[in-house]
Amino acid sequence: MTPLAELARSARIVVCCGSGGVGKTSTAAAVALWAAEHGRRTCVLTIDPARRLAQALGLDLLSNSPRPVKAKGLPARGPGSLDAMMLDMRRTFDEVIERYARDADQADRILANRFYQRLSSTLAGTQEYMAMEKLYELHESQRYDLLVVDTPPTRSALDFLDAPDNLNELLDARAFRLLIAPAQRIGRGYLRGLNLATTAMTKMVRRVTGSELLAEVGEFFAAFEGMYDGFKERAGLVYDQLKHPSTAFVVVATPDGAALREAAYFAGRLAADRMPLGALVVNRIHQAGPVPPVPAAARKRLRADGADGRLLADLLELHDGLETLAAAEQRRVRDLLDRVPNLGVVQVPLLSDDVHDVAGLRRLGAHLFA
Amino acid sequence: MLEVLEQARLLVVTGKGGTGKTTVAAGLAVAAAGRGRRVLVAEVEGRQGLAGLFGRAALDHREARVAEGVHALAVDPDESLREYLARYGFAPLARLLSWAHLNRFITAAAPGLGDVLLVGKVWEAATREERPGSGAYDLVVLDAPPTGRVVPFLRAPETVAELARVGPIRNQADRVRDLLDDPGRTAVVLTCLPEELPVTETLEGVAALREAGLPVAGVVANQVTGDQLGGRAGRLAGLARDPGPLAGAAAAAGAELDRAALGTLVGEARDRQRQVTRERRLLKELRAGLDGLPLVELPSLADGAGGPDEVRALAGHLVAA
Repeated sequence: MTPLAELARSARIVVCCGSGGVGKTSTAAAVALWAAEHGRRTCVLTIDPARRLAQALGLDLLSNSPRPVKAKGLPARGPGSLDAMMLDMRRTFDEVIERYARDADQADRILANRFYQRLSSTLAGTQEYMAMEKLYELHESQRYDLLVVDTPPTRSALDFLDAPDNLNELLDARAFRLLIAPAQRIGRGYLRGLNLATTAMTKMVRRVTGSELLAEVGEFFAAFEGMYDGFKERAGLVYDQLKHPSTAFVVVATPDGAALREAAYFAGRLAADRMPLGALVVNRIHQAGPVPPVPAAARKRLRADGADGRLLADLLELHDGLETLAAAEQRRVRDLLDRVPNLGVVQVPLLSDDVHDVAGLRRLGAHLFA
Repeated sequence: MLEVLEQARLLVVTGKGGTGKTTVAAGLAVAAAGRGRRVLVAEVEGRQGLAGLFGRAALDHREARVAEGVHALAVDPDESLREYLARYGFAPLARLLSWAHLNRFITAAAPGLGDVLLVGKVWEAATREERPGSGAYDLVVLDAPPTGRVVPFLRAPETVAELARVGPIRNQADRVRDLLDDPGRTAVVLTCLPEELPVTETLEGVAALREAGLPVAGVVANQVTGDQLGGRAGRLAGLARDPGPLAGAAAAAGAELDRAALGTLVGEARDRQRQVTRERRLLKELRAGLDGLPLVELPSLADGAGGPDEVRALAGHLVAA
């Protein structure tokens, strides 16, 4: 049983992370499918799946809630089941606001605010954090035995680890008031130095951004009044759940230098935050078959010996190239494992086709779990 | 690509994540330097992707010489903000507040301002020659954000300037725009892989960049599998069933290869040939969609390590293309 099979059997949450283009979404979907076929009620949350994979899983952006995957070959009735959803970041943030607002009026005022609209779509890590928020919501609902999520391929896919802090710092209205409030409202004494700074700050922001923006910021915080504590508490719960031993992070990579360097960064970052690191999946590994060495003299004779000999010599050269590549890949994977102790690794050979349907996910699964 | 390497003042390299954007940016920089130009290559996403390609542990906000004729720079948002504020007379304020805090506040209050600072820094380096007394470059190669984010990134000065109709921000936005929109000085290059999703995303990216009025100069298709067998590939299916002819050649040449080994060799060649065929189909689709825009194909390099050797090899291929 591979380390991944163990996770798919026992974990409650699996978070796949890695740089773009390494097969993260396919890996997440294959893990979910395998778990569903092994009797678990499973849901896969994905951010930006390839079009054909999305179609195969019946995903659409309209719902922002899980739907059963209807595809040929899936077991029709339990105990296991497979749901999937594509996350709408913005809508998730809106739902959070609606949940914590005192009433519909407060929610409406926040949702209509232009500062909120920019905040919810541009602050680094906010989108990733919203994925975690949705994950937590589904986890709390207890509808599933296993949730599998793939993180967005952004410049730093682990920004969500900082996001609760960033968001909290921003939403903490006290800090903001210091920066934007008119000088006379701020207290006396030790605050006087800061006072000067914030006045200059206010002027600067006005000059740089235009003053209507500050008014919007003010309105946002007025509207947000009273929601901060709920927000902060929730962020803490989400963070705790991610740290819980029933969660497992799976770092996905390919064996090229850049992707493995990113994977090492992810692994290091997760370890630094004491997040439960489950396994490393390396997709698209090259493998060379067993061929005995052919000395240079024999190769030379092959080249001199008609079309068949030349063809065989060329085949040997292709094989040499493949061997070199495979060896370099293994060296790089080992280097990474040396730096990250006790990390289980699953290597998936280069598959001959893109994974874009349930059959493809199963082929991938055969390598992930064999 | 040659023309672009010799004439452009700013080369913007973008592409879907994982398509070798940073490696190609480094390769283009080395190739241009090889043709006698003074080059700066800059990254703006804090990923430290360039450092390893030039055999360094890290790069920072100081322009460091990393190869013959090439300097490299990792643009740092906090440092850019400091420079920016100093330029507009806010240096005293800058000393009072933590940079990270100030930057986070400004980024939240005016999203896009962070990008304005990064683009502004690149613009400053690319137009430096016009101001005497500072180290100037003939070409700045920008390892830009991926295709999905590149237009809002490059247009950030414009977006933020909409809030300020006059003043320093507006002026700078206008000058940045002048540089970016000028096909005589700026060229956008997209990187791609011969795979389904990257091809689709490249074509979407080209359309989006053109719609935004940015001068697209061409596409670099990375890691294209070379076809070593040509017309002989047609024989592989037959040889897989019966490797007799190869066994004969092996015996005659004294190469100790049994049928299993020959089967392995033929199987590996067939896998590779299927890959070649698939890539050809995709590159044909790509070329058709590009409608006359130059497409440069780069071969897969021996081991994909992503170091200085690979960058030099890529540069060689780019110059030859």
